[in-house]
Amino acid sequence: MKSALCNRFFILLPWILIVIIMLDVDPRRPAPQLTSRPYFSPHTVGCGGSRVPLRRSSPGRDAAEKRNESRPQLQPEPRLPTIYAITPTYSRPVQKAELTRLANTFRQVAQLHWILVEDRATRSELVSSFLARAGLPNTHLHVPTPRRYKRPWLPRATEQRNAGLAWLRQRHQHQSAQPGVLFFADDDNTYSLELFQEMRTTRKVSVWPVGLVGGRRYERPLVKNGKVVGWYTGWREDRPFAIDMAGFAVSLQVILSNPKAVFKRRGSQPGMQESDFLKQITTVDELEPKANNCTKVLVWHTRTEKVNLANEPKYHMDTVNIEV
Amino acid sequence: MKLKLKNVFLAYFLVSIAGLLYALVQLGQPCDCLPPLRAAAEQLRQKDLRISQLQADLRRPPPAPAQPPEPEALPTIYVITPTYARLVQKAELVRLSQTLSLVPRLHWLLVEDAESPTPLVSGLLAASGLLFTHLAVLTPKAQRLREGEPGWVRPRGVEQRNKALDWLRGKGGAVGGEKDSPPPGTQGVVYFADDDNTYSRELFKEMRWTRGVSVWPVGLVGGLRFEGPRVQDGRVVGFHTAWEPNRPFPLDMAGFAVSLPLLLAKPNAQFDATAPRGHLESSLLSHLVDPKDLEPRAANCTQVLVWHTRTEKPKMKQEEQLQRQGQGSDPAIEVRALLMRPCRP
Repeated sequence: MKSALCNRFFILLPWILIVIIMLDVDPRRPAPQLTSRPYFSPHTVGCGGSRVPLRRSSPGRDAAEKRNESRPQLQPEPRLPTIYAITPTYSRPVQKAELTRLANTFRQVAQLHWILVEDRATRSELVSSFLARAGLPNTHLHVPTPRRYKRPWLPRATEQRNAGLAWLRQRHQHQSAQPGVLFFADDDNTYSLELFQEMRTTRKVSVWPVGLVGGRRYERPLVKNGKVVGWYTGWREDRPFAIDMAGFAVSLQVILSNPKAVFKRRGSQPGMQESDFLKQITTVDELEPKANNCTKVLVWHTRTEKVNLANEPKYHMDTVNIEV
Repeated sequence: MKLKLKNVFLAYFLVSIAGLLYALVQLGQPCDCLPPLRAAAEQLRQKDLRISQLQADLRRPPPAPAQPPEPEALPTIYVITPTYARLVQKAELVRLSQTLSLVPRLHWLLVEDAESPTPLVSGLLAASGLLFTHLAVLTPKAQRLREGEPGWVRPRGVEQRNKALDWLRGKGGAVGGEKDSPPPGTQGVVYFADDDNTYSRELFKEMRWTRGVSVWPVGLVGGLRFEGPRVQDGRVVGFHTAWEPNRPFPLDMAGFAVSLPLLLAKPNAQFDATAPRGHLESSLLSHLVDPKDLEPRAANCTQVLVWHTRTEKPKMKQEEQLQRQGQGSDPAIEVRALLMRPCRP
């Protein structure tokens, strides 16, 4: 009898301990919300239209004339469709450098609105002050990625892109939609200015080649008689839309008329984010090839190397705190 | 009805292992707990930032007299960029040209590491809308990187930068763009901008009125968040650097600018290809200036306006696979200049 009681006690003890541990841990880790609420900045910063850089040159110089001819100044026109560029970004040593380069490109694009979405619970001082000085029309959002989705093999920036889409839909919910184009501009890629001219005329969904992606020099839609008939790609050719995030643009009208189209998180396989999204709003037949029937590379999937900070002291030793 | 002890302990063991694995997976993940503590830390950090900014403002010297109203009097900034053929070359040059387009009164000296100008670079320069000079000079074989050698073993771009300096001194050699060197008495500044770094447009405002040699911090270089001069009372008194701090000028190539008159007054000043690793910048600056005469910029070297970024070499696994199958990609589509090998020999 006593032996049986001891036996049962020792059998149950580990389970009791496990339950106690779990109960103790749970209150300190509230379950993350399935859909985090993105924070919308109260107002848009910056003035309308991009700032054309001031250029001065000696009169009569041929090079100066050539310079003026090759780059006619684009004045913001009332009918010029707005390009909305959604850029997800996260804190890392090269973040400010990447955003600086991207801003230098965007400053030369007329009628561009920059939607910057941080992967953070709050807006960071670095990005806030950066946007204040950038001189671009912008919207600063932030939404943290749930911890369970922060894995190397899971797609990145999904919640941030969806937050940009939500803001765009909310902003145009009660107005007649102005003509506009939506483009997903990651902060480390390289964009030719010509690309923005090409995408501005998007009627529904337009596509073009992307350089240095998928293990090849370029990936591109295959075009026949002005229609997309296939994909030149080195990775998962069976995707319905074998295209990079930087390889397409969507017209604002299509975004507003498909309010439930978002980037999926559950059930999305690696590399299928673009296909899952485009499947909700268009078909391959309807795609509009750009960039000279998809034979010209105007965007490159470049990646910046991780920075070596081996000589940085563990604790801040300098007298001033310099932002990098 | 009695449970087998063996089975009970087996189940317990499995659950424990699962829990342990879960804990290991969670290790290192950022903690979402204690939000009020994190908010407080954030507030403290912001206050510190604000205090630092105010201190920097106090230390900032009084603003320079207003710039002359005449646009003609604005000194020209000559930007020297060495470049060589590689997969990301066009992307890098596109990005750099977009930044330079934001700067008024700028002259771009692009020097290719090649025997003759390549169509890719010529086309890009013509389309950039910038005032430019196109030069080309091949790196001598003895200075070239061997296959598999890391990039830092030999200084890169030495001959190209010296070629640009020669052009500024009136020795000609332009293969495209503006061919005439600046006439004597031209006011200008010379800056060495590598094609993969990142430049803020404010940087060019800071360097434009250089009288001798001006200096500023460079971000993400030398194993530090930033490297740069230490300034006291408006003078350079030392250098914040970790790698070979005893160099005469422990500066990155992107961390200084030279006034054109000073450069022309010292016709023998150029980069020394035989300089030991990391001393390339010193080999030029030793001819031009004393360390104590450097002009600090960027709010007494407390602002980072240029970053030493490097672009990853793209993986071409699929391309090589196609080559083996004899179905290379369409060569008519230009990503970069066509070469037998994607990397520099």
